[in-house]
Amino acid sequence: MHPILEAQQFQTRRQFFLGAGLKVGGIALAGLMGAQRASADDAVHPALPGLPHFPPKATRLIYLHMNGAPSQLDLFDHKPGLQEHFDKDLPESVRNNQRITTMTSGQARLPVAPSMFKFKQCGEGGIWMSELVPHMHEIADEIAMIKTVHTDAINHDPACTFVMTGSEVPGKPSLGSWLSYGLGSESNDLPAFVVFTPTFPKESQAQALFTRMWSSGFLPSKYDGVALRGTGDPVLYVRNPPGVLRSDRRAMLDALGELNQRNFDRFGDPETLTRISQYEMAFRMQASVPELTDLSGESKETLEMYGENVQTPGTYASSAILARRLIERGVRVVQVLHRGWDQHNRLPKLMKGQCDDVDQPTAALLKDLKQRGLLEDTLVVFGGEFGRTVYSQGTLTKDNYGRDHHPRNFCMWMAGGGIKRGVTHGETDDFSYNIAENPVHLNDLNATILHCLGIDDRRFTYSFQGLEQRLTGVEETHIVEEILA
Amino acid sequence: MTALQRTLTVVLLNLTLAASLTAADDRVQFNRDVRPILSDHCFACHGFDQKKREAGLRLDVAEGAYADLDGHRAVVPERLDDSELWRRVISDDFDEVMPPEDFGKPLSSEQKDVLKRWIEQGAEYQQHWSFVVPQKPDVPDIDGATNPIDAFLQKRLQAEGLTASELADRTTLIRRVTLDLTGLPPTIAEVDAFLADKSSDAYGKLVERLQERVTYGEHMARYWLDLARYADTHGLHLDNERSMWPYRDWVVRAINDNLPFDEFTRWQLAGDLLHEPTRDQLVASGFNRCNVSTSEGGSIAEEWIYRYAVDRTTTAIEVWMGLTAGCAVCHDHKFDPLSMHDYYSMYAFFHSAADPAMDGNKIDTPPILKLTRPEDEQRLKELDQKIAIVESRITELVTAYEYTDPTTQSPQPTEQTIETVWFEDGFPASTNPEATGAPLKIVSKPDGQVFSGNSAISRTASNAIGQDFYHGGAEFTVPKNGRLFAWCYLDPNDTPDTIMLQFHVGGWNRRVVWGNVDRIPWGKPDTPEKFHMGELPAVGEWVRLEIDPTKLNLKAGTKIGGYAFTQFGGTVNWDRLGVVTTTNPTTDPAWSFAVWKQQNQGKRNNDLPEGLRQLVRGKQADQWTPEEADRVFHFWLKTFYGGLRDEIGLLEAEKTPFDREKSDIEKAAPITMVMADLPQSRESFVMLSGAYNRPGGKVARGVPAFLPQLAAKPADRDYNRLDLADWLVSGQHPLTARVTVNRIWQQFFGTGLVKTSWDFGSQGESPSHPELLDWLATQLVDDGWDMKKFVRRIVTSHAYRQSSRVTPELLERDPENRLLARGPRYRLDAEVLRDQALFVSGLLVPTVGGKGVKPYQPPNIWEPVGFGNSNTRYYKQDSGDALYRRSLYTFLKRTAPPPFMASFDAPNREQSCARRGRSNTPLQALQLMNDIQHVEAAREFASRILKEGGESAEERIRWGWRVVTSRQPVAEELAVVKRTLDRYHDRYAADADAAAQLIAYGESRADSELAPAELAAYTLVANLLLNLDEAVSRN
Repeated sequence: MHPILEAQQFQTRRQFFLGAGLKVGGIALAGLMGAQRASADDAVHPALPGLPHFPPKATRLIYLHMNGAPSQLDLFDHKPGLQEHFDKDLPESVRNNQRITTMTSGQARLPVAPSMFKFKQCGEGGIWMSELVPHMHEIADEIAMIKTVHTDAINHDPACTFVMTGSEVPGKPSLGSWLSYGLGSESNDLPAFVVFTPTFPKESQAQALFTRMWSSGFLPSKYDGVALRGTGDPVLYVRNPPGVLRSDRRAMLDALGELNQRNFDRFGDPETLTRISQYEMAFRMQASVPELTDLSGESKETLEMYGENVQTPGTYASSAILARRLIERGVRVVQVLHRGWDQHNRLPKLMKGQCDDVDQPTAALLKDLKQRGLLEDTLVVFGGEFGRTVYSQGTLTKDNYGRDHHPRNFCMWMAGGGIKRGVTHGETDDFSYNIAENPVHLNDLNATILHCLGIDDRRFTYSFQGLEQRLTGVEETHIVEEILA
Repeated sequence: MTALQRTLTVVLLNLTLAASLTAADDRVQFNRDVRPILSDHCFACHGFDQKKREAGLRLDVAEGAYADLDGHRAVVPERLDDSELWRRVISDDFDEVMPPEDFGKPLSSEQKDVLKRWIEQGAEYQQHWSFVVPQKPDVPDIDGATNPIDAFLQKRLQAEGLTASELADRTTLIRRVTLDLTGLPPTIAEVDAFLADKSSDAYGKLVERLQERVTYGEHMARYWLDLARYADTHGLHLDNERSMWPYRDWVVRAINDNLPFDEFTRWQLAGDLLHEPTRDQLVASGFNRCNVSTSEGGSIAEEWIYRYAVDRTTTAIEVWMGLTAGCAVCHDHKFDPLSMHDYYSMYAFFHSAADPAMDGNKIDTPPILKLTRPEDEQRLKELDQKIAIVESRITELVTAYEYTDPTTQSPQPTEQTIETVWFEDGFPASTNPEATGAPLKIVSKPDGQVFSGNSAISRTASNAIGQDFYHGGAEFTVPKNGRLFAWCYLDPNDTPDTIMLQFHVGGWNRRVVWGNVDRIPWGKPDTPEKFHMGELPAVGEWVRLEIDPTKLNLKAGTKIGGYAFTQFGGTVNWDRLGVVTTTNPTTDPAWSFAVWKQQNQGKRNNDLPEGLRQLVRGKQADQWTPEEADRVFHFWLKTFYGGLRDEIGLLEAEKTPFDREKSDIEKAAPITMVMADLPQSRESFVMLSGAYNRPGGKVARGVPAFLPQLAAKPADRDYNRLDLADWLVSGQHPLTARVTVNRIWQQFFGTGLVKTSWDFGSQGESPSHPELLDWLATQLVDDGWDMKKFVRRIVTSHAYRQSSRVTPELLERDPENRLLARGPRYRLDAEVLRDQALFVSGLLVPTVGGKGVKPYQPPNIWEPVGFGNSNTRYYKQDSGDALYRRSLYTFLKRTAPPPFMASFDAPNREQSCARRGRSNTPLQALQLMNDIQHVEAAREFASRILKEGGESAEERIRWGWRVVTSRQPVAEELAVVKRTLDRYHDRYAADADAAAQLIAYGESRADSELAPAELAAYTLVANLLLNLDEAVSRN
């Protein structure tokens, strides 16, 4: 039998037994309120039986996705030798006739554009970082930098779909959906998988996001990521309509619970009992979500650490602190998708704006997690969907250039549960154009993420369309052992 | 009971059922019992896929299993001990045991036992059941089972020692069948009528009535649109709007017209290839254009041509054959005999599609069809007639014209002045003159000042702008060397401040002015918009005003579509406006055809139409046939000749409004994307590893070898999609009918007879009732693929009509209701939930068809994800009726689908979907309780309760309850609702502001006749009723 159906049946059956034994009425359910963390027996988001496969190093994931593909050459992949190659053609031996996009394939030349930004080695591990991310310098000793991530797709839409779902073709579950399917969540009052799509600098060239990046694909839709929104209701429809108080809703739910219970008595459908409990969960969310987004209990120091935007709902800084608050409340996966990183031209100016948006809050999030003891079992991932070319697209001057898409190597970093601190993994050639050693395919990276969370990606499957589907695809994968603590 | 004990109980109960589902006799059947084991545990390494085959052993065919491999034979029929397979299966040697431990899929002891018995009994292979053409089985003879469906089901139930449930009560039944056939609940009147109809065929008549409703097609179409992956945006990158909705509306129509499924198939897979396809057939071919497409900068064209073809192939195979072809894109299918070669042979049918790799982010990515409405078609015909009449008058004029070329005249004319009059005695007859100030006043001699002819305009404007003008209906051409002129008479006793002439050239933008330039504020001074000619002319006499057209930027050939006589103050008479030109006709190509011929001979003249252009350019004039010469000459007369230009101009102007209307209609005509092939087919190849840039062996269009073959290839052409469609619906295809009936079955019972309705291959589940499936499939073909009849067959069965009540014992025995000892019960679909709320509230606007609408949607669904330049970045909510249309018509943006759909498991239509999930989540609860459209619907429903439900609270609650559930509440239910109502009454009586806020939610206005506190209280009661488990489920 299908593992998920088995699990579901088990769940409804269990609820059936509970329901048959107890009188589940409004009053009884009202008494369940306020329970923040679920005990194993009444978890709203139970894990699959047998998961995790082995004791995990991390139990939660925060995934910071820089959508549009940040330039590795201007952030983390330091190539001092390029200065001599300014405006010279990319050597054929380096390019080696690799596929390039049709945005630059018609260009007469592919002139090398060295980064105009200063780099320094940060922390005891000496990880290279540019002046664009000064706050990240301070967390260098917490992270493992991977310089050799590579992907299959050369354009945003397929690449974003790939980085989040392990497939370029729409329809597969996202990483967060896989995790909430497999591991469930410890929070009974909040969704298992929460997504932020924060604001970004107005002048930036923003590529689209797609709900498929956090959707459940062929998994049941209850594993969809739930977007926590900056404007309007933080969770869709969480607010009562105008003129309706929480006590009014309680009265309605008391009546509803009683009437639905009678309906269960008439038809015996276990879904009816599930529905009763989901309405109660909804009611709890109506309290837990506003509590979550209320920052009044945060200390002044903490708020300052994230920067002044932290108080503005919908910003990256606000998403970052909320990510921590969600993790604290037992949510399994938080994904922040920050847009605007597609610098085909005017890269220096635009990158500055992008980095100003994310640098400080990202560093603050790591420090905040650490000071609360949460970093040791929370995995944090930072990256984009591919990298950018060493050659300039369009205008090239010392302080103005653009870069095209480059799937052949880019940088991502990981930190927290299960990850070595202050290390760099992999090396690229002198042009950051090819991988020189230790390639890490995105499938390997995802396998490594699952590994940190106690999951063997080979055994984590879901049968769909006649295939044992995996997040990490059908080819062999390799855990990046070198960065594991 | 401890948790562990409970688990064990459940597992044991499940095992009981699993055993009972495979069941009855002792003899092992390969397809039913053995193939699933081999498929799941062995085929990955010992299956059809050559490349991954280990040790040269294949177990998917008998020859492979029996083959002698180095002295070992995997399977020796009846000889267990000689069978290597058995030895390996029971081995406890880590290196020998099969499946290998690291494969992670050990065999259970039951499975081993099946294999053992199979070998002992002779190790017979059967072809996979779904690849064998179904033969119609005999209907079992079961007492009381009049519908063959029940005969098959009950035979099985009897074997299991179970019985079907009694019929559901009639209120449950009418609600169930009305929701299932129309997606809307029945009204109380309909329930009452059905309860009152005591005739034996009351139910049958009800079903027929429901199938006649347009809402039938609207509801049934949804399921097909999930398969067709229909949506209103392109789906990738910018995700811009695409115009595809005529296809959606066609699906609704085709279902309502009961288009037989074989035709339904042909039209969609190959409507464009049918003989002289009708408009509907072309629209239907849009099925193959519903795939997602991109126009992302930097994309590589070959990759996307390839991907679109793969999408179309995979979708067709899944929809009609129920096979998961996706695997064979990259490698031979491991479990089914579908090779890459098979896959790419089918792909070749779709690989020559004419649509471009880049959709251009356009709404109308070609090929497209423009659809004018029937009433417009009529109007277009009328317009064409009107245009033709005018054109024939022009032709008459031209052919009857007696022309003498000035070069042949004797004596030859010399330079002469030619005056063309545009205004004399009145505006051109074909126009509708307008005025600013008093109505147009025409004076005649002797009552007023007239310059020439019989009459003139006379206008008095006291201290204001006054004018007479026309625009449209007549058109004049500025000649070469022409000068405009007009005559005016200013009243010496009432002199104006300013006079002005205006000319319309695509807008009122050419003006000349005399006198005080500031009095009339229009136009930018010192430009052609307002050219100052000087002081006012002399008063008390007729004065000729002359204007150099170049001052107004009017060039020879410019068309003037209107003129205005304008003044500020005073009294002015206007007469005789026109243009004067000086020319020598013997050298002017506008007057001498001989000169024109000479000048244009051998040259490309773009003013000539196709045909004449080539003639004039390519053939000496003296070699033209008389007929050719006439055509050129008449065209010259009509188009270029100065002597007819204004006469024809008037006629042309008569035509202008018709031309404009025609083009407006054509522009407004809906567009739909259709399928077409390139004139020259692309060559197709097996694509190694499914990579667009790694072509392997070349393939020809064809179908998999393990299925029936295509009809003989026509002598004069290659196979095409129509041949493929014909093959699918030949009636001899083992899959098409089975897959189709199974999907409809799933629609009505929640689960298909084959549970994996998307996978009929060996990884899919075997049918729970194989004979019933085959009977239904063959019967569908025998019935001429009549889908309405098939649906009637299902919904009139006892199985469908029985009560859905389940006992704990039965639930344990058959949790998924595969045996159908009870009726189906499940949560309503996303669209039905919203439509039901709109329907019971009376808000639903039942308009059928049309462009997608944008109902209520919370802010920031599109905006945070949309690409900067996308035309679907900002959601602009509609207002009025568009808010309350059926959900089928909601605009679907694939990358950010409407929350009311997404939260309730509607697919985002990025790819084909054969079965939706049915989740049960807190987000759904929040939506049904708080979404503005549900709250507004609750308020309107509350208004109806108050106005239609009776006088007392009890009557009203009863009425509301019945509207939602179709049944009467019992006393306890009534009491619970009444108690809640009382509480809300008190609450809103005490808080008028809260009541006002609640009932003001939504765009429509609350009925002001109703007391706000009462309406608010009932609104929450209505909200409660619409959230009942019974309301969101169909029983």
